[in-house]
Amino acid sequence: MNSIINGPQVLNFSHLPSSWQARQKAAWEKYQKIPMPHRKDEDWRFANIQSIQLDSYQDGAATSEAEKKEILKQSQVSFPTAARLVFSNDEKVACDLINSDLEKKGVIIETVSEAIKNHSSLIENYFLKQRVALGSEKFTALHEAFCRSGSVIYVPAGVEIEQPIVIHQWLTGKNQSVFPHTMVVTEANSKVTVLEICQSTEELPGFVCSYNDLVAREGSRLTYVCVQRWSEKVLAFHMGASTVERDAYAKTLMVNFGTAFSRNENRSRLTAPGAQSEMLAMSLAHENQEFDQRTLQDHLAPSAWSDLLYKNSLNHGAKSIFQGLIRVEPGAKQTDAYQTNRNLLLSGEAEADSMPGLEILNDDVKCSHGATTGQVEEELLFYMQARGIPENQAKHLLVVGFLEEVVTRLNEPEIANYLHTLIEEKFERSEKIVWQKKAVSNSTASKTEVDVKALQGAV
Amino acid sequence: MPKGEVHALMGPNGSGKSTLAKVLSGHPDYEVTAGEVLLDGKNILEMEPDERARAGLFMAFQYPSEIPGVTIANFLRAALQARLPEGEEIDAIEFYNRLYQKMDLLEMDRKFTSRAVNDGFSGGEKKRNEILQMAMLEPTYAVLDETDSGLDIDALRIVAKGVNTLRGPNLGVLVITHYQRLLDYIVPDHVHVLVRGRIVRTCSKELDLEFEKKGYDWLLKECGELAST
Amino acid sequence: MSEKPVLEIERETGNFHYPERHQYDAGIGLGEQTIHYICDVKKDPEWLREFRLKALQTFQSKPLPTHWASHDLDNIHFEKIRYYLAAGQQPKRSWEEVPDDIKKTFERLGIPEKERKFLAGVEAQFDSEAAYSNVKEELAKEGVIFVGSTEGLHKHPEIFKKWFGKVIPTGDNKFSALNSAVFSGGSFIYVPPGVKVKHPLQAYFRINAENFGQFERTLIIADEGAEVTYMEGCTAPKFETATLHSAVVELVALRGAKIQYITVQNWSANVFNLVTKRALAQEEAEVKWIDCNIGSRLTMKYPGVVLKGRKARGEVLSIALASDGQHQDTGAKMIHAADETTSNIISKSISIGTGRASYRGLVYIPQHLKGCKNNTECDALLINTESRTDTYPAIVVRGQGNSVQHEASVSKVSAEQIFYMQQRGLSEAQAMSLSVNGFVNDLVNQFPLEYSVELKRLIDLEMEGSVG
Repeated sequence: MNSIINGPQVLNFSHLPSSWQARQKAAWEKYQKIPMPHRKDEDWRFANIQSIQLDSYQDGAATSEAEKKEILKQSQVSFPTAARLVFSNDEKVACDLINSDLEKKGVIIETVSEAIKNHSSLIENYFLKQRVALGSEKFTALHEAFCRSGSVIYVPAGVEIEQPIVIHQWLTGKNQSVFPHTMVVTEANSKVTVLEICQSTEELPGFVCSYNDLVAREGSRLTYVCVQRWSEKVLAFHMGASTVERDAYAKTLMVNFGTAFSRNENRSRLTAPGAQSEMLAMSLAHENQEFDQRTLQDHLAPSAWSDLLYKNSLNHGAKSIFQGLIRVEPGAKQTDAYQTNRNLLLSGEAEADSMPGLEILNDDVKCSHGATTGQVEEELLFYMQARGIPENQAKHLLVVGFLEEVVTRLNEPEIANYLHTLIEEKFERSEKIVWQKKAVSNSTASKTEVDVKALQGAV
Repeated sequence: MPKGEVHALMGPNGSGKSTLAKVLSGHPDYEVTAGEVLLDGKNILEMEPDERARAGLFMAFQYPSEIPGVTIANFLRAALQARLPEGEEIDAIEFYNRLYQKMDLLEMDRKFTSRAVNDGFSGGEKKRNEILQMAMLEPTYAVLDETDSGLDIDALRIVAKGVNTLRGPNLGVLVITHYQRLLDYIVPDHVHVLVRGRIVRTCSKELDLEFEKKGYDWLLKECGELAST
Repeated sequence: MSEKPVLEIERETGNFHYPERHQYDAGIGLGEQTIHYICDVKKDPEWLREFRLKALQTFQSKPLPTHWASHDLDNIHFEKIRYYLAAGQQPKRSWEEVPDDIKKTFERLGIPEKERKFLAGVEAQFDSEAAYSNVKEELAKEGVIFVGSTEGLHKHPEIFKKWFGKVIPTGDNKFSALNSAVFSGGSFIYVPPGVKVKHPLQAYFRINAENFGQFERTLIIADEGAEVTYMEGCTAPKFETATLHSAVVELVALRGAKIQYITVQNWSANVFNLVTKRALAQEEAEVKWIDCNIGSRLTMKYPGVVLKGRKARGEVLSIALASDGQHQDTGAKMIHAADETTSNIISKSISIGTGRASYRGLVYIPQHLKGCKNNTECDALLINTESRTDTYPAIVVRGQGNSVQHEASVSKVSAEQIFYMQQRGLSEAQAMSLSVNGFVNDLVNQFPLEYSVELKRLIDLEMEGSVG
């Protein structure tokens, strides 16, 4: 098998048009030219860059028919859906239009490779047309070089899809990699909710480099939820770009359960008056998981609104990084922009790094940000214990309560129920782990020293 | 409107009462395309809002602005100082004496002087603060824009008492309201009714005895019907 | 109304200069010969010569931090600056002995008058060296040392050497390295155990020469239980070419000591003000930085406290006023290094016209600590449409029972608010001034009285006479 660091293998892409292959070649050249992130890059501040080692990952292992059967069986949710797309290692396993009306209304739900052939204008107009560029430009190029799969969802003007469209992304086999792309376009006054569930068939290492293009045209409502539950040995990049036009409302939620290291970059561009963007995320991390989150609320037009809420609950030696920026361009008057990051440390070894930023180039704005990091309040724990609730259960309840704010904000009751189940599952996993403080306390102490030094870079 | 009189301007919602108040005080959102506003014979439309104020016009706002960090005492001192010729300073002791006297009149706690202007005030406190400023700045003409809104009955009584104390030959007052209840406490010499931007009826105390007996609501009602036809 | 720049900073108070009369001049540009020249003139000990030469290498090897900082730094022409200028006289103990021009300069800035009124000691630096240095007799008797850095180094080497360069190592950043190479002037203060200096000690820094870089170095040590307040002020005339000011200030607060360090920075709008300030706070010690930036073209300054002892407390209160063409890039660093340490940062900035105010902060609480707390509030006020503000905090938290809280907000002086005040008879400029003072009021009230009065007057002065 060939490592991805040798570039895309023609064999895996031979079914795609030659223009696509040329595009991939160019992207691969770009990837090679861009240097790897460096710890001194502002966009990678505090990140554990050493964990980005790509040599061992391979591309292209096919999924056996037996496995596909099992995957299909597992790709179920307990609530009604409008359509279902299932992928395994970037290969289409199923694309079911459950609500057959949709096709008649002009809704397009297909895979990226199908869209390349059938709806090339969609690809031309939207595929990677908006750049996230919050530090992972190299990995965007990598995504482009390897992308051959993913979902394209197009909702024509005035069409409202009430039930969610669910995408199942599977990673199977050891050291395999996937590069899924998700494109959602809602035309004027249309509406859709897309739920993407990412998981591994086994607890094995792997590599993910995904990219979303979300476009909410005039007056439309686009909700996108990504539930990330890859194996806890996976290295993942999730990049998401959204463009929100006049009076449109985009709501995105990133839920982090899996991976050893994941980097999420999300950028929302508010391009016309009345645009509204709600950016949500919640993470439940344990052991040595690291969730590195970078966001940009990009106010390009007046009278737009954006609100971001990122919550991280960190157990054991887990680490979260939040770097967010609200940028208000000179012409973007009457902007309302808010940003909140809250971190809950459940252990002395957990770490939360927070860098909430504002760049305001205009005086007619209402902007604020807040960041807090703290522990479960002793008083609260005591109060609950005094009512007879054991400590670990009390903690559990408080964490659920902490995350509930995000779930409520999503305002999708059925997905909320699903998330509650997953939160409980993750708790069960956490409780089975016997977390031991790293024995080598010397090395942690020296790490502190090194960190302090690194921080002295600024004047 | 002669000095020494109290005129009431009534009218249904949207008749242009508050617009008139804003135009008189020179709010930047409004542009006067025709006509004149004469204050003691001078056309004030050419003047900046602060020049109008120093010329003697006072406006009690329907929604007074909050000014965080600026105490009432400092604010009033600055406003009074702005009325003095260059080089003259306000006498601090005299200033506080006068301030406390006016506050007593309005039943305001002296602690108020060190609170920021309207910052975190209740509706009633804001309106009392407006009248306090009116008492301190001694205008020749005052416009009270819906001063009764947001006032409970006790607060209304106190505010009215403040205004009545200030009544006298040197002050003309225009009370803008669309309720009767304020006029029960501040009894006007004349009442004007505004409908769709025009004064459709004017009554005066001497001429219209019926007026006092019946109250003003009937007048409004009558004109309201007029407005809806 | 808010379209035209309503406020412009009046900086005329410091805008005058006298002809240069320097006996010593290290010439234009920077090289090893510059270092040797400075060492020879100042009669530096050999260890310091080596220290300076090493620092020069560090300075030359470090890139400008433009990957995160303003590209305006590229406009500093290090090769065109004069690094040492001095009249060649010892600092005087009485104003009568100070040369006429220099005395007149400080009189115009009101220094001798303030000294009589409320100061415990004064040091006045003119270009590279102190012209005047005096501390009240009763303090000297108690063992308080307040001298220039050169005198401190020569007369009190045992205390000086122990702490010099320990809080801010040469290689901390490019500008601390530059200062370490060519520093001259600044204060050296030692307050013996238990001595509480009631009145502030004042230093005044004055740049008189064009194309000049001022690199003072201040080291303040408050021994166990000692207390001291230090105030610094700075001005320079408006020259055609850019001037560089790059100081290093190190504070050491030993067990239970309290240091309060107050800065009123009012450099003219052509000064690059790139300053490194950090304090070390031992057990139960308290360090408070009060930092007010009104002048300069570009200021980069992030006063910090390393909270090294249990229950140490650090605080930064800062106000920045960025007018047309100015960039105030300021902030704070709190490095928690012991249990139960607390820190507080309150930053308020006002951007006027094309001015830009940036806040950069660092709060660091590592893993092995317990019961640490930080609170950060930064508020920005924007006056004009083209005004800009940025906030870039970084917060790292681990450990048990530690908590941090960061809040920031951006607001503007609203048209309604100004109109309301105009209706009470205040002019637009007066209304603006009142609003701005209101915005900073709660912070200014935490400053020592003499200082808050001066600051309010300064802000008033700048808001007044600013509207055409």
